[in-house]
Amino acid sequence: MGPSPSIPATTLVTLAAFSLAAASCGRAATPPPRDLARIPWDSLAASARGSTVTWRMWRGDPSINAYVDRWVSPRLLQRYGITLNAVEGQGAEIVNQLQVEKEARAGGTADLVWINGETFHQLRQADLLYGPWSGRLPNAAWVDSASPIISRDFEQDPMGYESPWGTVQFALIYDSARTPAPPRSYAELRQWILAHPGRFTHDQGFTGITLLKQLMYALGGGVERFQGGFHEEVYATASERIWRWLEEVRPALWRGGGSYPPGVAELHRLFANGEVDFTMSNNQNEVMTKVAQGIFPETARALLLRDGTIANAHFVGIPANAPNPAGAMVVADFLLSPEAQLEKARSPVWGDGTVLAEERLPGDWATSFAELARNPRALPRDSLARYARPEVDPEYHERLAREWRSRIRRGGS
Amino acid sequence: MALADPARRELKAVRWGLLAAALVASPVVAGVVYSAAAATGLAGFGPHGFSTDRLTRVLGEPAVWESLVWTIRTASLATLLASALAVLVAMTFRRSGRVDKLARTLAVLPLPVPHLVAATTAVLLLAQSGLLSRLGFAAGWLAGPADMPPLVYDRAGLGMVLTLAWKELPFLALVATTLLATRGAALEETARGLGAGPWDTFRLVTWPFLWRGLLPPVVAVLAFAAGSYEAAAMLAPSDPLALPLLTLERYTDPDLARRGDAFVLVLVGLMLTGAAVGLHEWVRYRTTELRG
Repeated sequence: MGPSPSIPATTLVTLAAFSLAAASCGRAATPPPRDLARIPWDSLAASARGSTVTWRMWRGDPSINAYVDRWVSPRLLQRYGITLNAVEGQGAEIVNQLQVEKEARAGGTADLVWINGETFHQLRQADLLYGPWSGRLPNAAWVDSASPIISRDFEQDPMGYESPWGTVQFALIYDSARTPAPPRSYAELRQWILAHPGRFTHDQGFTGITLLKQLMYALGGGVERFQGGFHEEVYATASERIWRWLEEVRPALWRGGGSYPPGVAELHRLFANGEVDFTMSNNQNEVMTKVAQGIFPETARALLLRDGTIANAHFVGIPANAPNPAGAMVVADFLLSPEAQLEKARSPVWGDGTVLAEERLPGDWATSFAELARNPRALPRDSLARYARPEVDPEYHERLAREWRSRIRRGGS
Repeated sequence: MALADPARRELKAVRWGLLAAALVASPVVAGVVYSAAAATGLAGFGPHGFSTDRLTRVLGEPAVWESLVWTIRTASLATLLASALAVLVAMTFRRSGRVDKLARTLAVLPLPVPHLVAATTAVLLLAQSGLLSRLGFAAGWLAGPADMPPLVYDRAGLGMVLTLAWKELPFLALVATTLLATRGAALEETARGLGAGPWDTFRLVTWPFLWRGLLPPVVAVLAFAAGSYEAAAMLAPSDPLALPLLTLERYTDPDLARRGDAFVLVLVGLMLTGAAVGLHEWVRYRTTELRG
C-alpha cells in the first residue's frame, strides 16, 4: 500500500444501495458466450481487436498504477488493438459490486478483476466468476505450476477460474540505523516489544491480520497443523495462545494497545515519522520501492522471521457478467508473458515476484530474472524460499480478523 | 374550458417542481428501501426471507451502542465548537472596517477545502510526529513523539472534533454574518433607539434571531459531522469505532453473512439524522408557538 491516503472517500454503504437503482437502468444481462472455449486462440485474440477491457483493481500504489497505465496499456493497444481501462475496486468492493449487478440483473461493468484468497473464495461461493479459462492462455505453459504457492490460492484449487499474476512474501521492515539488532523470531519479537514500550504495533487491515496468522503458525505447531481445510478445535487452541500472547505484550504496544492504525499505509507513516520502529508489508520488495521513492530512509531493510513468513500469489479473474471476456483473456495472457513479468519484478517498477518457472524460460529470460536478485536490499532468494509458508483456508483469516476485532481491539465487533 | 395563461404557467411550474423533487428524492428512497430490505433478509448475500434476527443481533451488540454514543458526542462537540466560534467571529467582526473584512475573509477560508484534505492536514499537524510536535521538540518542550498528547486515533476524538469544527466554522460564520448584516442591523438600531443598552440589545434582540436563523444550518452540520467518513477514517480511534467506519467495516466483512449488518447500521445512522431534524422541528414549533 502506498503511504498516501487511499481512503475510499465516498464508499458509504448507502451509495452502493443507490447504485442498485442506477444499475437496474443499465442494459440487460448478456452472459459471456460459453462457446468461447471452442474458438481457437488466434481467432479469439483477433475477435478482441478494437475492444476495450475494463480492469477493476486496487489503485492505491503509484508504482503499480504506473506499470499498468504506462507500460502494460500502450503495449496492449499497439500489439493487440485493445484499450485498457483500469478502474478502482478491490476485495470486498469487487464482490459487493458484482453481487449488486447480479441482483439488478444488469450488464457487467468489469472484464477483469485483480483478486486472491478470500475474494476468490467469495466470488466462487456466490458464482460470480466466468470459467474455466486460464489453462487456455498460451503463456500459461511457463507458469511454475509445481510451486504450492502459485498452484493454490489460500489452499483452494483455482480450477481455471483465475490466472496467476504475481507472488509476494510477508516481511517486517525496520530501520537498520535505529534498530541495529532486530528480532529474528516471534520469541525475540516478544522480548523486543516488552523492552521497547510504545514502539511496535500492527494495522487493523489485511497486513496486520497476516502477521497474526503467522503468529498462529508459530504458536500452533507449524503451518502443517492448519492445512487441509478449517478445523475448529485446531483453531480454538491456537487462537487462545495468540490472544494470550497479545494480551501479554499489549501494554508495551504503541498507545498501550488501545488504538491501532487503520491500514498498513498509516503504519508506514508512523514508521517513516519515527513514531514506531517497525512496519510490515505483504511484499518483501516494498522496502526497495519505498526507499527509491524517498518515503523510507536509506537504511530501511526488510527482514524475515525464522518461524516462517506467509507467501501467496495474486491472480486475475473474469466476472461471469463480463461484457468482453475474450479481450480479458488476451490481457491476462500478456500479463503472463516473460517480458511483462520481468518488467513487473524490477524493484523501481514494482518488485512483484514472478509466477513463471524462470529456469524453464527460453533464451536470455532466465538470466534476466536471475540478475534481479542482485539488489543489495533484496532478501536472498534461498532465505525467501526457506522461510516461505503457504496460506491456509480463508476461514482462518476470517475468524482471526473477527475475533481480533472483538477480543483485542474491541471497538465494534 | 381552457385555463387562463397565468394559471397554465403555474401548473407547468408545479409539474417541473415535482419532477425535480422526485429526482432528488428517488435515490434516497431507493437507498432506504434497499437498506431496509437488506437489514431484514429480503436482499443481499445468502438466502432471502424476511427475518428480524439481524436487526435484533446487531442492535443487541454493546459495541454498536458505544459507536453510536461516541459518534453523537464527537459530532455534537464539533458542531457546538464551530457554532460558538462562528457567533464569536460574526459578532466581533461585523463592522465594515479593513480589519473586520480581513478577519471575516480569513474565517471563511477553509470553506472550499475538501474534507479529506482537511483531515490529512490535521494528521500532518496534530499527529505525535506532526508539525506541532516537531515545533514543541525544537522549542525544547517535548522530548519525543510520545510526549505529545495523542490527538490522532485518540479515544476522546479530540483531533476529529477540532478538524470538523475548523471545517464547518466558515459555513456557520458565513450564515451568522449574513444574518447580522441583513436583519440584525435594523432591529438592533430600533432597540437602541428605545433605550436598550448593549448587553440588553444582544440578549433580547440579537441572540434570539441569531440562534433561530442558525438552527437549520447547525442541524445540517450536526447531521453531516455524524455521517462524515473521511475525517473518521483519518483521525478516529479503533475503539470505539465511529459509526461510518463500523458501517463500512461490516459492509466489507470477510464473512459474507455479516455484510448485511451494514444496512442495519445505515438505518441507525438515518435515525440519528432523522432525530436531529425532528428535534429541530420541535424546537422551531415550540418557539414559534411561544412567540405567537
